[in-house]
Amino acid sequence: MFNLLKRKNENPVLLVVIATGISSVVTQLLTIREFLVQFHGNEFVIALILFSWLVQGGIGTLISRLLTGKSSPSANFLGLLSLALAVLPVLQILLIRELRDTLFIHGSSVGFYPTFAFIFLTTAPYALLIGFVLPYSLFVLRYTNPGYPGTYIYITDSLGDVAGGALFSFFLLYFFSPLQSVFIANMFLLAATYALFKHSGLRHSLTITGTGIALLILVSGIFFEQKSLHPLEGKLAYYKESRYGRIEVLQDREQLTLIGDGVPLFSNQNTSNAEETVHYALAQISDPKHILVISAEGGIMEELDKYHPETVDYIELDPDVSEVLFRFGLIKKIKGLNVINQDGRAYLANTEKNYDAIILNLPEPETYQINRFYTDSFYDIAKKRLSSGGILSFSMEGYDNYLAEPQRQKISSVHNTLSRHFKNVLLLPGQNIYFLASQSPLSTNIPDFLSLKGISTSYVSSYYYGNITDDRINHLKELIDKSTQINTDIYPNLIRIMFMQWFAKFSTSPFVFIVILSMLSLTYLFFIRKEEFVLFSTGCMAMGTEILIIFAFQIFYGYIYLKIGLIITVFLAGLLPGAWIGNRYGGNKKILLVITDAILILLTGILITAFKQTGYSIPLSAFLLYGFIVSMICGYQFPKALKLTGDSNSAVTKLFSADLIGAAAGTLLISVVVIPYFGIIMAAICLIGLKLISLIIMAIKS
Amino acid sequence: MKIINRRQFIYCSALILSTPVLSLAVGSSDDKKDDISGQDDIRGKIFKGDAPDKPSKWSHEGFLYTKLNDRKVVCGICPHRCVLSPGDRSACRSKANIDGILYSLSYGNPCSINIDPVEKKPLFHFKPQTKSFSLAAAGCNFRCLNCQNWEISQAKPGEVRQSELFPEDVVIAALKSGSESISCTYSEPISYFEYMIDIARLAKEKGLSTLWISNGYINKEPLIELCRYIDGANVNLKSFSDKIYKKLNGGRLEPVLNTFKILNDKGIHFEMTNLVVPGYVDDPEMVKRMCEWILNNLGPDHPLHFLRFFPQYKLDRLPPTPVSTLENFRSLAMKEGIRYAYVGNVPNHEGMNTFCHNCKKLLIERKGYLVPVYNLAGNRCKFCNTVIPGVWENRKIKT
Repeated sequence: MFNLLKRKNENPVLLVVIATGISSVVTQLLTIREFLVQFHGNEFVIALILFSWLVQGGIGTLISRLLTGKSSPSANFLGLLSLALAVLPVLQILLIRELRDTLFIHGSSVGFYPTFAFIFLTTAPYALLIGFVLPYSLFVLRYTNPGYPGTYIYITDSLGDVAGGALFSFFLLYFFSPLQSVFIANMFLLAATYALFKHSGLRHSLTITGTGIALLILVSGIFFEQKSLHPLEGKLAYYKESRYGRIEVLQDREQLTLIGDGVPLFSNQNTSNAEETVHYALAQISDPKHILVISAEGGIMEELDKYHPETVDYIELDPDVSEVLFRFGLIKKIKGLNVINQDGRAYLANTEKNYDAIILNLPEPETYQINRFYTDSFYDIAKKRLSSGGILSFSMEGYDNYLAEPQRQKISSVHNTLSRHFKNVLLLPGQNIYFLASQSPLSTNIPDFLSLKGISTSYVSSYYYGNITDDRINHLKELIDKSTQINTDIYPNLIRIMFMQWFAKFSTSPFVFIVILSMLSLTYLFFIRKEEFVLFSTGCMAMGTEILIIFAFQIFYGYIYLKIGLIITVFLAGLLPGAWIGNRYGGNKKILLVITDAILILLTGILITAFKQTGYSIPLSAFLLYGFIVSMICGYQFPKALKLTGDSNSAVTKLFSADLIGAAAGTLLISVVVIPYFGIIMAAICLIGLKLISLIIMAIKS
Repeated sequence: MKIINRRQFIYCSALILSTPVLSLAVGSSDDKKDDISGQDDIRGKIFKGDAPDKPSKWSHEGFLYTKLNDRKVVCGICPHRCVLSPGDRSACRSKANIDGILYSLSYGNPCSINIDPVEKKPLFHFKPQTKSFSLAAAGCNFRCLNCQNWEISQAKPGEVRQSELFPEDVVIAALKSGSESISCTYSEPISYFEYMIDIARLAKEKGLSTLWISNGYINKEPLIELCRYIDGANVNLKSFSDKIYKKLNGGRLEPVLNTFKILNDKGIHFEMTNLVVPGYVDDPEMVKRMCEWILNNLGPDHPLHFLRFFPQYKLDRLPPTPVSTLENFRSLAMKEGIRYAYVGNVPNHEGMNTFCHNCKKLLIERKGYLVPVYNLAGNRCKFCNTVIPGVWENRKIKT
C-alpha cells in the first residue's frame, strides 16, 4: 500500500513498529477498563489515564531525543525494548490489581489525587517506553538509511494502532479476558522481535532465551488472571468480562452480591431497598397494569408481583447482567415479565407503549451515561410514555440526618428539572431520597395506602413513620433551592456537582491540579516553535474532539463502553491516510497548514450546529465519519509540520512530543474542566478558539 | 529461517508448561488484608493555623484543658489530647486555641435536629416507644471510613448549615415535641462536649432524660462529669482490635474499653453497638474475646447490638454483612453469657426481639419501630417476675 515494507533491511524494524502499535492500543484500552474497575469508574478517570499515557509518551519521546548522538542506535537494543514492551502489559495489569489493595485500604474508595498518582506511576514504565521506542525505531532505520522519512514511522505506527483498535473492538472484547487479550495482542510483537533479532544476527540461543522468557511471562499472566481477582471476602461465584464492563458475583456465606466494575451493586438480602423502590411509587396508583423497570434491584420482582401487573418490562443494557441475575436468583422471574436488553433511554424514546409506572434503579449520575436519565430531555420522554395518572420514580443518595451543600445542589437541580415536566413532585427523605413525579396528586401516607390495598411489607409498614416523618419531609422541601440550574444533556450540571462532591468526600479540590497543570502547559508553550504549536494544537484538537465525540455519543446513545474501541479506532484510522496524503503531495506547507486549520475550525462549527439542531438524530455513522475526517486532517498536518522543521531526529522527536502533549492537554481540558463546567457546546467553542490561535500564528508567519 | 533444535524446543516447552505451577506457588499465600492493605493508622491530626481569628459570639470556653507555655493549650476532653498553639484547630475540628484560650466552636449551633424513635439510636432497653429529640453539631474525633453522617462529622462547624439553639432552647423544644429524652447523636457529641453537658444539666432539671450516642473515645475526667447528668448511652464498640480501630476508625481500643468500665461503675444504662464490617470485624474469635471481656468487666446485662454493615462513605467497595454472620454472632454472644444480644439493620429479624433471660419468653416483639407485643410489667418480666435490665417506664405501651 505505501511501499513501506519494500526494503528488506527496514522490514523487521517496521514490523516491530506495527506490532508496537497493536500492543499499545490494546494495552491502553485494557488499562482503561482495569482502572474503571479498580477506581472510581467515571469519565474523569478515563481522562486521567489518557492524560498520563500521552504525557509520559511525550516524555519518553523527549528522552529518546536526548540519547540521539550519544550512542549508536542498534536493532538489538530495539529488540530488547520490544521484548520489555511485550511483557510489561502483563506486569502492569497485575501490578494495578495487586497494588490497589496494598497501597489503599481494602474496600475503600480513593480520592482524585491518589488515583491520579497511582495511574501516573503504574502506567509510567509502559507509556514511557512506548514514547521512547517509536522515535528510536526511526533512529535505527536512519543509522543505515540516513534519509529515511520520519513520516513513514508515523504512518506505520498508525497502521499498528488501527489494527490494535480493530483487534480489541471487534474480537478481543467479545471473547477474551484481559490477560488473554494481552497475550494475543503481544504475540505479534514477540514474533516481530524474534524476526528483528534474527535479522540483526543476534546469537540464536540468546534470541530463543529472550523471546522464551517473554513468552513465559505472557503465558503466566493468563494463569494469574483468576488468582489476581480473588476476593478477600467470601468466594468469587461468577466472573465475566462483558462488553460493558466486569461482572462478578461474590458469595459470602448465604449472601450473593452483584459486583459491577468493582462496586457492590446489590445483594439478595436487601429487602428494604426493593420495598422502598416499588411501593413508594405503586402505592400511589389504583391499579398499575404496565410497569417499566430500568435496571433491577435484588428482590424487586417479588414486590412488583404483589400488584399483579399485566406486564413488567425490565430493561437491562447488558444481557450478561440480566442473565447472571436470573441465574443466581438475585431477581426472580414473575408472570408478565419481559426482559429487554437495550439502552433504557433509547427504548423509551422509541417505544409506543404507555406505562403506569416507570421505575429507575440507577446509580448516582457520576457518569455521562447515567446522567442521561436525570436530564430535562429524559423527563420529557418519560412523561410522554406515562399513562394518565402514571408515576415516575427513582432515588438518589442524600439525606438521612443532614443534607450537605453539594447534595443539596444535586437534589435541587433534579427537583427543578423534574418540576418542569410534572405537576407534582414529591421527595421522600431517608438514606436515599425517593423522587416521585406525576401529573396526578401524590401522597405521603404510603403505609396506609398499602394497608388499603392489602399489600404486606416487611420494611415500609414498620419503619416508614419513624424514618419519614412530616418534619423530615418538610425540612427537605425547604432545603430545595429553586434557583439551582436544571440538568440538561448538553449542559450536564449534575456531572459538575457530582465531580465537586467527589472532591468534597475526600476534602480536596480540583483547583490545585488545574493551576499546576496550566502553569506547566504555559511554560511548555513558551519554549516551543510555531510548528510545534500547530501540532500541539492539532493534538489537542484531535483528542479534544475524540473526547467530545465520546461524551456526545454517550449523551445521545448511552452505551459508550461497547463503542469506545470503535470510536478510538476510527480516530486512529483517520491519521493513516491523512499522514500518507500529507507526505505524498506537496504545495506550500505553511498555507496548507493554515487551510487545514481553517477546515478544522469549520468542522467544529458544523459539529456545534449538529449538536444543537439534531443531536438525537445524528446517526452513529455520522459520528464515526466526523471523527475519521478530523483525525485525517490532524494526520495530514504532521508531515507538513515535519517538513517545515527539517525532519531531523531532533525535529521529529520535538513534533512527536508536541503532538502527544497537546493531546494530553486536550484530554484533560475538555473532559475535566470545560464539559463539566460549561457543557459540550462551550467545549467545542474552546477547541475552535485554540485552533484559531494556531491559524493566526501560522498565517502571520506565512 | 533457522529451525530451533530439540533441546531448545524442550527448554522452551518446559518453561511454558511450568508457568501454571509457578503461578499457583506464588499466589498461594494467605492474604490478611488488615495487615497488608493501605494505611495502618488514619487518626486525625490537628489543623495548624486553621482557627478563626476570634471566637464567635456563641463560642464557649473549653470544659477541660491545660495551659502550657507560649499560650499553647492541651485539650483534655478526648484521648487525642490535642496540643494546640494559638491559631490551631483540634483534630475533632470543633475546638480552637484563640489567643491562648481553648474554645468550643460549635456551642449552641446544632446542624441537625430531628425527632426520632428511641429505638433508632439503637436503644432497646430505654423507655421503648418514646420519642427522642435528637441533635448534632459538626465534628468528630474519629475518621471512620464508613461514617454514615460524614457530611457533618467530618466538617468544621462553620462549613455546615447551623441553627442557633442554646441549651435552654433545646430543652424547651424537646418538651414541646413531646419527646421524653434528648439524644446527642449523629456526629460525635464528645466534640461538642460543653454544649452536651449543659443540655444534659438543664434537661435533668426539667425531668427530661439525656442520651449519649457516641464512639466512647473520651477521657476519664470529663466522662465522670458527664455521668452526673446523662441517663442512657449507646456506645460503639467498633471492633475488639486496636489495629482495626486505628485503620478503619482512626482511634484506639483501650480508651473505649475504659469508657465502658466507667459507665458501668457509675450505673448508667448503656447499650453497645458493634458494626460487623465484612473482612475486618467479622472474625468469630474476635467476637468471642470481646464477649469475654464484656462479661468479665461489665457483666451480662448490657445489651449488645450486632449491626449489619452497608457500603458507606469511603468504605463503599465492600459487600453488606451476610445476615447469618450477625445471627451467628448473636448466638455466640448469648452462648458466652451475654443476656441481651440483638441483630440490627435487618428489618423485622427475630433477633430484634427481647426475650427474658430467665424464662426465655418473648418480652418485646419489635416490627421496625412498632411494638406489637410488650410483656413487661414495670421493669419485670410478666411471666416470671425477673427484673429486666434497662430503664423501663411504668406505663402502658401502645401495641
